[in-house]
Amino acid sequence: MPLDTSAYSLALLRVDGRRWNELRRVHAQIRTQAAADGSSYLEMGHTKVMCVVNGPSEPGPRRGTAGGGGGGGGPGGVAEVAVSVVVAGFSSVDRKRRGRGDKRTLELQTTISNALAASLHTHLYPHSTISISLHVLSQDGSLLAALINAATLACVDAGIPMTDYVVACTAGSTSTYAANDETADPLLDLNHQEEQELPSLTVATLGETDRVAVLVCESRVQASRLEGMLAVGVSGCHQVREILDQVVRDKGRHMIKEGTVEKGMGVEEMEVD
Amino acid sequence: MPITINPPSLRPSHRNDSSPSADPGSNSDSSTGGTSLTTKPPPDPIIKPSSSKYSIVTPGEVITSDPQWMRGHGTYIASSTTSITSSLAGTVTRTNKLLSVRPLRARYTPEVGDLVVGRIVEVQAKRWRVDVGAVQLASLPLSAINLPGGILRKRTETDELQIRSFFAEGDLLIAEVQQLFQDGGAVLHTRSLKYGKLRNGVFVAVAGMGGGGGVVRSRRQVWTMEAANGGGMVDVVLGVNGYVWISKHVEMPEGDKGASAGITNMEESVSATMYSSQNDRIGVETMREIARLRGVVTALVENGLRVDEDMVMKGYREAVEMAMVAGEGGNEDVYLGGEKGSQLAAALTAV
Repeated sequence: MPLDTSAYSLALLRVDGRRWNELRRVHAQIRTQAAADGSSYLEMGHTKVMCVVNGPSEPGPRRGTAGGGGGGGGPGGVAEVAVSVVVAGFSSVDRKRRGRGDKRTLELQTTISNALAASLHTHLYPHSTISISLHVLSQDGSLLAALINAATLACVDAGIPMTDYVVACTAGSTSTYAANDETADPLLDLNHQEEQELPSLTVATLGETDRVAVLVCESRVQASRLEGMLAVGVSGCHQVREILDQVVRDKGRHMIKEGTVEKGMGVEEMEVD
Repeated sequence: MPITINPPSLRPSHRNDSSPSADPGSNSDSSTGGTSLTTKPPPDPIIKPSSSKYSIVTPGEVITSDPQWMRGHGTYIASSTTSITSSLAGTVTRTNKLLSVRPLRARYTPEVGDLVVGRIVEVQAKRWRVDVGAVQLASLPLSAINLPGGILRKRTETDELQIRSFFAEGDLLIAEVQQLFQDGGAVLHTRSLKYGKLRNGVFVAVAGMGGGGGVVRSRRQVWTMEAANGGGMVDVVLGVNGYVWISKHVEMPEGDKGASAGITNMEESVSATMYSSQNDRIGVETMREIARLRGVVTALVENGLRVDEDMVMKGYREAVEMAMVAGEGGNEDVYLGGEKGSQLAAALTAV
């Protein structure tokens, strides 16, 4: 029992020693791969994912499509966001083989694609495809959240215009659905052990705002608890945004110091002639 | 199961050289769940990026809410506000009253007159589709190339039928951007003896104009140089799009045709070899020096230096010297990655 009710109520500490509102350690890097347009590496606790973005670019002639001159792109003259998720066989404790047609993987891909397509300014790139390739190296809960965060970072690195970061986080509740405990506390950022036993949801927001981009809940939970979980999740997303933003800023500052990028200017220096 | 306790994360508690990128429109409705994890200071009405030299903006950061500015590339105006918000991670630039964000890195954006190196990806009835590293494929119409048998000849049906004999899929070429479409697509032309199919060399793809180092627009993108160690003459083409071509220099075959060859004859002899895909014989020395130049280009990019004629020439001289110092057999060693690359970059930035 990961969250032994007696232990939790005594010390209010979770199995890994966190409090209810603490995130796991988030470590992120961008520009990890020189050959790609954008790339990132993200760790949320022991969940480790890697992301590579290529594009926006126009795919060459596709075999099998008639005409061939049309190129790619989604409907309505916007860029298509193609996501592929590869879960490494060694990523979890049980070595499960997941093919390409795996339903769970497909669902992850669709969710990420829809979330990012809403934030990215895809209308600027007609006939193009933004291909996002995600690799799961290690799983310890909050997989979807980690994937979304990594994909966002890689898109920032690739220089694709977007409304704001799409940042994700999970939230849960301290007791199971069956316990029907009215006093259950919400929990932030669940690990694998907690995710197995407790009701949880993944929420992604558009940056600092309270606008929810993704909300996935795959377990039974009392409706009365949902609101608390959602609120904790959203505030967790804001924390994650701060961390990711700092990663991008550090990299940017580093690049300006190196002279790779020219310096910008602050607005107050901008005296109008 | 062993339980691991992670060290408490160091939350970024301060932003020494950047202002909080709070959204003025966000209403922190904290009553719903009773969460008060982060207590943000109330956002300023006008958020000004601090004047720090190294400050950048990130997506979602409000650049200004002053309505006197106009928004340029890399920015957007959020619905129901008038504040200009960044949509990229990069530096803010200003042109009169136009605010735009230059990204830290992005794909190449074509401009008219750019010299580019491209690869044919598709052959269509009357044009080729060329990968130039941009967001969209560029197109090269059949009417925009030098057709064999005279520099200015109208294209005929025969040309259309044998379009693959000029350029086929996978061929590399050097061209100039002739015009741009509204959506950013480019049209190329090769109507000059300087342009055309590439052979006898090696291709390197690095970052181009779009942000974040790599090849920069400069006075000269193409030059011929004397390679060290008996390498002979070598051509270097730095495409503005970040595609680089380094090849053995081939003399225009005007000399060996004899003095009697007129201007039209010269054209014919040029065009006979123009669309050939057959490499000439290249000496081992030349190959080695081409490989060394390639190493210089990749080392420059790896170490975040710009790639232009000056830097490549300096880097090449430095690389030759480094190989010489290395002693016996050092000339053969053209590897310039890792340690050696940073050594080279350090030597270049020192002067």
